[in-house]
Amino acid sequence: MSGLVVVGGGFVREQLRAPLTLVLLVAIPAFFVLIFAGVLGEFSRALGGTLPVRSATAISAGWAAAFLSGTLAFFQVSSSRGADRRLAAAGLGAGRVALARIVAALLLGATVSAVAFTTLWLRSGIGHPLHAAVAILAFAAIYIGVGALLGAFVAGPLEGSLLVMLVFALDAFSGPQMTSSGGIGAFTPTLHAANLLIATGGGQGSPSGDWTSVAAVALGSLAVALAAFWFAARTRKA
Amino acid sequence: MTLDTAQRKDGPRSSAQPVSATARDERCPAVGHCVLRVDGLEKSFHRGLPPRRRRVEVLRGASLMVCSGELVGLVGENGSGKSTLMEIVVGMLARDSGQVERLGRIGYCPQVPMLWDKLTVDEHFTLFARAYGLDDDRRERAVADLLAELQFERYRGYRIEELSGGTRQKLNLALALMHEPTLLLLDEPYSGFDWETYLHFWEMAGSRRDAGMGILIVSHFLAERERLDRVYELRDGRTVAA
Repeated sequence: MSGLVVVGGGFVREQLRAPLTLVLLVAIPAFFVLIFAGVLGEFSRALGGTLPVRSATAISAGWAAAFLSGTLAFFQVSSSRGADRRLAAAGLGAGRVALARIVAALLLGATVSAVAFTTLWLRSGIGHPLHAAVAILAFAAIYIGVGALLGAFVAGPLEGSLLVMLVFALDAFSGPQMTSSGGIGAFTPTLHAANLLIATGGGQGSPSGDWTSVAAVALGSLAVALAAFWFAARTRKA
Repeated sequence: MTLDTAQRKDGPRSSAQPVSATARDERCPAVGHCVLRVDGLEKSFHRGLPPRRRRVEVLRGASLMVCSGELVGLVGENGSGKSTLMEIVVGMLARDSGQVERLGRIGYCPQVPMLWDKLTVDEHFTLFARAYGLDDDRRERAVADLLAELQFERYRGYRIEELSGGTRQKLNLALALMHEPTLLLLDEPYSGFDWETYLHFWEMAGSRRDAGMGILIVSHFLAERERLDRVYELRDGRTVAA
């Protein structure tokens, strides 16, 4: 356990020591909640959707957490693949490297979620803070899976970050209440977490069915992330 | 099947001869025991996308052996498969066929330092000490000795991105040595070293060989062959005694 803390702590430091990461930790939630929410609302109206302004603001906090967590998870895999694999081959094993990576990704996800939550609170207030916090954290967890999965298979930082952006754009602009037809929105991974935030933005609680679905998708995404971290650090039998 | 062994530098062969497809019955020529045996190793890679996709055969039956107390060289042209062979032995790359048998603790110094740019020298030692299962006392002793031996104590608190290429390479080497491995695999470990450090590196390698460590080192320079007990050359994917 202490080994996991030591290695996971090292991986967190590795991410937070990039000056740009610290700036983006504040800038991205502010941008999403203050500016992106308006864009999202306009897009919704243009596409025939019915997303209210307060709900668009609430859901933007989730997108901020998703975008940052996904990007950080992608770079956790793509920029450290060689060193992680060397550490695994030195005796730590791919499983423990992957566990340390997921611990680091969750700590970073919790941090960006807290910043996004605080920004939302300061911007518009929150009717159901606990619901909103869990939903934002779920956005982060789901995109840890997306980012890690892309990082495991796409080595190039440019190609990988563009792919994260593509998944994010498809997901964000086809979410619930964004269009009149629904489109692919019913199949996006963040559907249930978005429903929670939309309800929170409208000052309502959420039905238990949404909570179950959000938990299932978030845990499934973390399992995918764990598998992706393992895949990137895996060693072969000599 | 009877096998040839790679030529020792004081042996009778003078010209390059192929090592047979398997090293199964090869015996350690020195007093000591085998710490690495590679038999008939094959590896190919697929490159490009259809219709330009092609298969590149890198290793086509490479065999070699390293005994304890031996300093063995592995030479070959660029792209001959030296680093691929090393990565397969370490377990970082899968082989298509063939066998690899290793004995004891392994230390690996890759050609390009595989390090985390944002972590410090000390933090690297801490992470690898965990991987090697060293307790705090053993780690601190090993780190202090290696920092002094390679003369980069003052960089302990520096991040990798702040280090010169040579200092990164010193850390790369130190990480492979800190748990006193039985088998040490060095893939051009001195690139970026100044002349003094380069010479010191060979003293370090020699003293560890004398202490019983088996060392396989990828080397490019003809002049270095004098420092090695035996040399294998990788040619057309196969090992040849050089």
